[in-house]
Amino acid sequence: MKGKIITSQNGLNQAIKGILKSLLEKGLFDAILVPTRVPSGESFVYLLIKDKNLIESCTPLPPIMPIQGARALRELTRLGKTSLKILCVMRPCEVRASVELSKLKQVNLENISFMSIDCPGAFILKDYINDPEKFDKLYQNTLKDWEGENIRPSCNICVRFSHQDTPADIHIGKIGMKENGVIIVPLSTQSNELLSKIDIECTQETTEWQTGIKEKLQKKAENRNKAFSELKGNVSGMENLNNFFSNCINCHNCMRVCPICYCRQCFFDSSDEVRIAAENYFSRAQNKGGIKFPTDMIFFHLGRMSHMGISCIGCGACEDACPMDVPIAQVFEFMADELQKMFNYIPGRDREEQIPVLIYKEDELHEYEDMEDLK
Amino acid sequence: MKALKISKLPDDAIRELLLSLFERKKIGGVFALAKTNTHNYAYALITNKELLKNITPTIPLMPANAGKLLSRLTMIEPVSTPIAVVVRPCELRALFELVKLEQAKLDNLLFVSFTCSGVYPTRFMIDGIENKLKAYWENIRTGQILQDLRESCRICENFVPDNADIILTLMGKDNSNESILLIKTEKGKNFLEDKSGQLIEADLELKKIENMRSKRIDEKKRVFADLKTEDFGIKGLTEIFGRCINCHACSKACPVCYCKLCYFESSESEYSSSTLEKELNKRGAVRLPTDTVFYHVGRLIHVGITCVGCGMCSDACPTSIPVFTIFNKTAEHVQQLFDYIPGRKIDEQIPLSTFNKKEFEEVED
Amino acid sequence: MTEDSLPRIVGFLCKWCSYAGADLAGVSRLKMPASLVPIRVMCSSRVNPLFVLKAFLSGADGILVTGCHPGDCHYQDGNYYTRRRFALTQKIFKELGLEADRIRLSWISASEGKRFVDVVTEFTENLKTMGKNSIKAEIFL
Ligand code: SF4
Ligand code: SF4
Ligand code: SF4
Ligand code: SF4
Ligand code: SF4
Ligand code: FES
Repeated sequence: MKGKIITSQNGLNQAIKGILKSLLEKGLFDAILVPTRVPSGESFVYLLIKDKNLIESCTPLPPIMPIQGARALRELTRLGKTSLKILCVMRPCEVRASVELSKLKQVNLENISFMSIDCPGAFILKDYINDPEKFDKLYQNTLKDWEGENIRPSCNICVRFSHQDTPADIHIGKIGMKENGVIIVPLSTQSNELLSKIDIECTQETTEWQTGIKEKLQKKAENRNKAFSELKGNVSGMENLNNFFSNCINCHNCMRVCPICYCRQCFFDSSDEVRIAAENYFSRAQNKGGIKFPTDMIFFHLGRMSHMGISCIGCGACEDACPMDVPIAQVFEFMADELQKMFNYIPGRDREEQIPVLIYKEDELHEYEDMEDLK
Repeated sequence: MKALKISKLPDDAIRELLLSLFERKKIGGVFALAKTNTHNYAYALITNKELLKNITPTIPLMPANAGKLLSRLTMIEPVSTPIAVVVRPCELRALFELVKLEQAKLDNLLFVSFTCSGVYPTRFMIDGIENKLKAYWENIRTGQILQDLRESCRICENFVPDNADIILTLMGKDNSNESILLIKTEKGKNFLEDKSGQLIEADLELKKIENMRSKRIDEKKRVFADLKTEDFGIKGLTEIFGRCINCHACSKACPVCYCKLCYFESSESEYSSSTLEKELNKRGAVRLPTDTVFYHVGRLIHVGITCVGCGMCSDACPTSIPVFTIFNKTAEHVQQLFDYIPGRKIDEQIPLSTFNKKEFEEVED
Repeated sequence: MTEDSLPRIVGFLCKWCSYAGADLAGVSRLKMPASLVPIRVMCSSRVNPLFVLKAFLSGADGILVTGCHPGDCHYQDGNYYTRRRFALTQKIFKELGLEADRIRLSWISASEGKRFVDVVTEFTENLKTMGKNSIKAEIFL
């Protein structure tokens, strides 16, 4: 792996903007999908930018992730490919979610390229919106020493925060780089050629950066193991589950912001679940003496998990959008990890790899079935 | 009017009333807020009278608008067994609107409600609201507006449940040793006909109610004036909704947003990439997800006439956009235009499903 | 006057009256600014207020909803509902500081070719004084 190291006096974001501008100016892309600060300043949204003068206003790596990038790309290409050549500037988990969605036919990757960026994690959305100035300052430090305090729990346990398992075209590295160093890494020969068209010749060694990643990874993996072993005790058994979800008001917002939950109408909001005869509710109430409304809270969470757990990329968007601060992403990541290990699958790591539950082998998973003759 | 006097705290008085209804086989179920965990409360349909001890009808929380939940319960058919429903005035108004919209049925429901002093943001449940209760009840007695209540409650003028069958009078009273349950309707009378206990003559504390109402109206004027919606224009709208993450939680929480598949989530709201490319050429850049302002103003067109001012929308918003304030303020103007108060009367038609031949000549030419 | 400097009006024309009125205007060779993009609808009440809003947010300079005169709707009451919805939409526009003068409701019968031309001409003139709809350039919608 080779790269090109540049120094960025004005910070990572400014350096990336320079690259984006050249790419657009040279006509190598027709438009760039990139986070941009909203007019009132306290948050960010994705903008698809064609006008190169607008690039200056974007923030390629913002301190929060209000909208998971794959959701933005999904909206753009759900009904078919785009005819424009588009570069999506995203965090690694957003790239993986986009690729995962392409397997589910909710994103069309034709004409789409990705630039992923080393991710220091994102702040909790609600914290940031309450006090953007404070967190903008904190973020300066985060970007400098890559040690995140106040980072979302999902990011603290994320082990794919760089180019690992992320099928982007160009990667921008920062971890472990000395003061102001930024490394541009083409992840394919095409991107190498592309970059040389804007006079970025990637011939330098990437050791400094790779070492940085390794160190960081070790720490994150520790965090992850610790968090998961704590969680394990908290979510096994119905009583624990009920306690874990005791603050949940069953609003389904976690589903609506999840990039992977793409159904136009979720099963749990559909007629099957919502148009139920009063008598049915009544007899369910009578079985237990009473029934909570809205009903089926645990069913919703476990059901959603069974639908998309294999594809959960652990982005934490669900937790950010939960009005009741339920640590929903953590439990989804934990379960997803188990599921994905079962099939040796990492969602979104490879454009060609199929989602395990959409394929099968005749000879597999016998430990889960019972073929013995009954005595 | 006739009233039942029970020498107990409000929740206990309601429990006693419900228990007696259960025992005399007047009802087969109760729909009310109940304690579900140490700090947690949720609505529940309770059919076993032993579980009545768990209900907490006056706990100042609204995790969901009960009108919406009752529409779930009665969407297809009315309940066949009578049930007593203990909910707040705005939830009752929402239910009445939903009945008009053919999303719920009133048959066999007995409505118990109370002069409402408001609820706290649902988020307060995370840390527990138990330590708030002392101040809450104290302010009910003194008739003050608590500043940490939901904004919708601080400015609500329709806090008397005019369409309930039984009204517990709380506002402006001490409530520590006796509860007065006004029997407002014939239906209420029928349910209580053979109930033993002390029937007295009583009425709403009109003076105290008016006192509270005028305070709330002042508060509303202040809150509405602060948010200068009339000056928004497109700049103001893109600013206030700029941080919206397009999760539509506001619509899902809203009782009168009843569509099973919302227009803004339907295929009508999905665009081909060529459509978006056209927008891109026109504007130089496009926000994704799209249609943020379209969604909000469109939803306002849909629910402006029926918004009951319950505040669920703001409560649900993960990015604390003042959805309620914008919606309710605008809705109030719309409702004045048609001289309509949603949920006030069941036989009053929703203005958009009817018309007069001579009206609104100022908008046509 | 060039095409470009003319305001763009999205016109929803009821098939039974205004559309025929527009036709008549054409057949009679009445002169009219080329500002209107007509969309034929089966009745003015087919015009979902969201169509009006969407056209407005897409940058149309004006949105014209037309229908049969009250009492003459092909479906008896359609236009009375239209009027209520229009009143509501206009109210919301006003209360949110959106330019309510860019939306207009007019009753034009099949025989009123002249009136059709007058309405479009007058509306076009009004819109000219208002200038272009700036929403066309807005990004953060
Ligand atoms: S479940 Fe949560 S963490 Fe997993 S992909 Fe969805 S939003 Fe991200
Ligand atoms: S976990 Fe949070 S977002 Fe999901 S349903 Fe429960 S309260 Fe809503
Ligand atoms: S718009 Fe908001 S305040 Fe109005 S009814 Fe809906 S949730 Fe309640
Ligand atoms: S916004 Fe409109 S379409 Fe969507 S749920 Fe509400 S009323 Fe229905
Ligand atoms: S709940 Fe808040 S963030 Fe979600 S759509 Fe409504 S205003 Fe936007
Ligand atoms: S048919 Fe013309 S307005 Fe209804």
